Amino acid sequence: MSYSVDSHPVFRRVTTDYRQEIRSIGRTGSRGLAVTVVVLGILLPWAFSRDVSPPFAFPWSTWAAVLNLSLLSALGATAFNVLVGYTGQLSLAHAGFLTVGAMTTGYLGTEAGLPFLVVLVLGTVVGAVVGILVGLPALRLKGYYLLLATLGVYFISQLAWKEFLVANYGFVGMIVDRPQLPAFTSGWPLIGTDTGEGLILSNNFRWYIVLAPICILVMLFLSNLTRSREGRAFAAVRERDVSASLIGIDVARTKLLAFAVSSAVVTLSGALSSYYLSARGEDSFPFAVTLNFAIMIVVGGFSSIQGAIFGAVFFHAMPELTKWIRSEAPVLRDIDYLRTHSGEIDLLIFGALVVLVLTTRPDGLAGLWAQIKGWFTKWPFST
Amino acid sequence: MTQLAFDAAVNLQLAIGGVALGSIYGIVALGFVLVFKSTGVLNLAQGDFLMLGAYLSVTLLLTNDLGLYMAIPLLALFMGFLGLSVHYSVMRHLVGQPFFSIVLVTIGIGTIIRAVLLMVYGPIEKGRLRALPEGSFKIGSVQVLWANVIIIAIIALILLMFVMFFRLTRLGLHIRAVADNLEAAAAQGIRPDSVYAMTWGVSLALVGIAGLLFGNVNNVTPAASTIGLAALPAAVIGGFSSLGGAIVGGLIVGVVEILLGYHLGQSWRQPSAFMLLFIILLVKPTGLFGGKEFERV
Repeated sequence: MSYSVDSHPVFRRVTTDYRQEIRSIGRTGSRGLAVTVVVLGILLPWAFSRDVSPPFAFPWSTWAAVLNLSLLSALGATAFNVLVGYTGQLSLAHAGFLTVGAMTTGYLGTEAGLPFLVVLVLGTVVGAVVGILVGLPALRLKGYYLLLATLGVYFISQLAWKEFLVANYGFVGMIVDRPQLPAFTSGWPLIGTDTGEGLILSNNFRWYIVLAPICILVMLFLSNLTRSREGRAFAAVRERDVSASLIGIDVARTKLLAFAVSSAVVTLSGALSSYYLSARGEDSFPFAVTLNFAIMIVVGGFSSIQGAIFGAVFFHAMPELTKWIRSEAPVLRDIDYLRTHSGEIDLLIFGALVVLVLTTRPDGLAGLWAQIKGWFTKWPFST
Repeated sequence: MTQLAFDAAVNLQLAIGGVALGSIYGIVALGFVLVFKSTGVLNLAQGDFLMLGAYLSVTLLLTNDLGLYMAIPLLALFMGFLGLSVHYSVMRHLVGQPFFSIVLVTIGIGTIIRAVLLMVYGPIEKGRLRALPEGSFKIGSVQVLWANVIIIAIIALILLMFVMFFRLTRLGLHIRAVADNLEAAAAQGIRPDSVYAMTWGVSLALVGIAGLLFGNVNNVTPAASTIGLAALPAAVIGGFSSLGGAIVGGLIVGVVEILLGYHLGQSWRQPSAFMLLFIILLVKPTGLFGGKEFERV
């Protein structure tokens, strides 16, 4: 599982000193790309939220929701990737960490009435602590034994979640009010102003303005982490922990750190998504959630942060795309069966795509992207 | 928390139900361990295959009203062929791929099966199959259901056939050889590819029969795929690489699940198996019957 797109010789930057080596955005070309991405990343969602409709009878405004959900999932998937892809600790407990996030939101946000940002920070801390506790068995278990022990953690978390719901909310499920940002945010451009003191996150674009910076900061943190001393220790533990301990890496500390970081970010994502979706019921965290993270990172590409993003977008965009195709494509829109069984058909397409992508391209969509990029990089000589 | 009265007869009666359920888990776990041992694939679609077996028995037993004697061989045959096709269409292309990718492919296959079943049978649950005779008899003050006795008997018979298959037939010998040492077996002229395919076939046939029996003790619902995951702790408690251990693990999980479910409430049923797994793994990291694993640097 030690495959990294960046290590491919074609994509290595030629550098002459260390300062160049540690830059995230190195060449002039990629700087231009970064600026373009930032501008588009603000303008496009704004256009979606304003219902500016570009060509085709395409439901552009639904894409704002897809975008936010993708950001939330990308957080979770990247954190999952740090644990599973970089450190090699197979874990199925991540839906449980999301549950922890939802429970922290419930206790601190709705019950104690703490402000939104405080709940997020505290939730991250709680997540890190829970991650260390869950990581303790990993010091003794490996591979598929760890996989199944963490599956046990997941089931225990669900038991706790059900008890929590029954104790605090009855059978209705948890309802979270729309969060409000601190006062200084009102009156920012593009967002629109509220009469009250702080901005209430009531539409998708406002959520995007909150989620995108959080996502970027976390991704930056995680990608820097994987490039640091700790990140190299992660990779060493993944390759073989016995050898890692021989070259002076504290294996126990490294594993616990990976669990803590991963769990903290997933818990953050869980807290954010309970605010965003605003209602969480008994079955909101099925086992499939963890599997979806796993599918995102493997379809996107193992051990790469962009892979997790690709995977998250693929996961959330695909149902919207098939829905659009079902309702607009000339012949398909007349078949009633496709409309009445849309959920099942999406499930079928999803399963088939996972099998297809993994059998034909085991390095996932990020590998495909690397190949396309490589073709242009080597252009006159590409084969 | 219903009641905490420890009545010996009630507990014994529950334990018999637990043994019946546990033996079903046992053969699911057996199929799981079999595939893992010989092909190295951790098949997380096992729960979905169990659900497929249960739904197919709805067609065989309720819609077409075939008897048990016809339904079991037909089901085993069909699932066996499905196993062969799973190997030849997907799994053989994945030999040598990273462990986790292969696990996810099995999840993908499970998703496809679940989708197809939902399309064919709809999301409404089917109730129990009730193909086994109703009624019960008494030993002392313990009420024993005929259905449980028959389930245990059928599984004992299947296990006997399974053991004979491995001891007496050439194919069984080949499967054992490949599981033991792939290169040496290949050097002897055994074709691993067809052995892998047969292993998948045997494994799925076992799971299919387990699905049929499962449908007689539980409702046939789309949730069966998650319930089927309880076979995983069974396999791990037994020690993952031990076929006999899988059966023992299944029995332990079944009994613990039923007893805890009765005394602490139904919501404890599923977590109980995994909590047990957790505790056993902390004490003995390779399960009860697993061999010690050596690691070379």
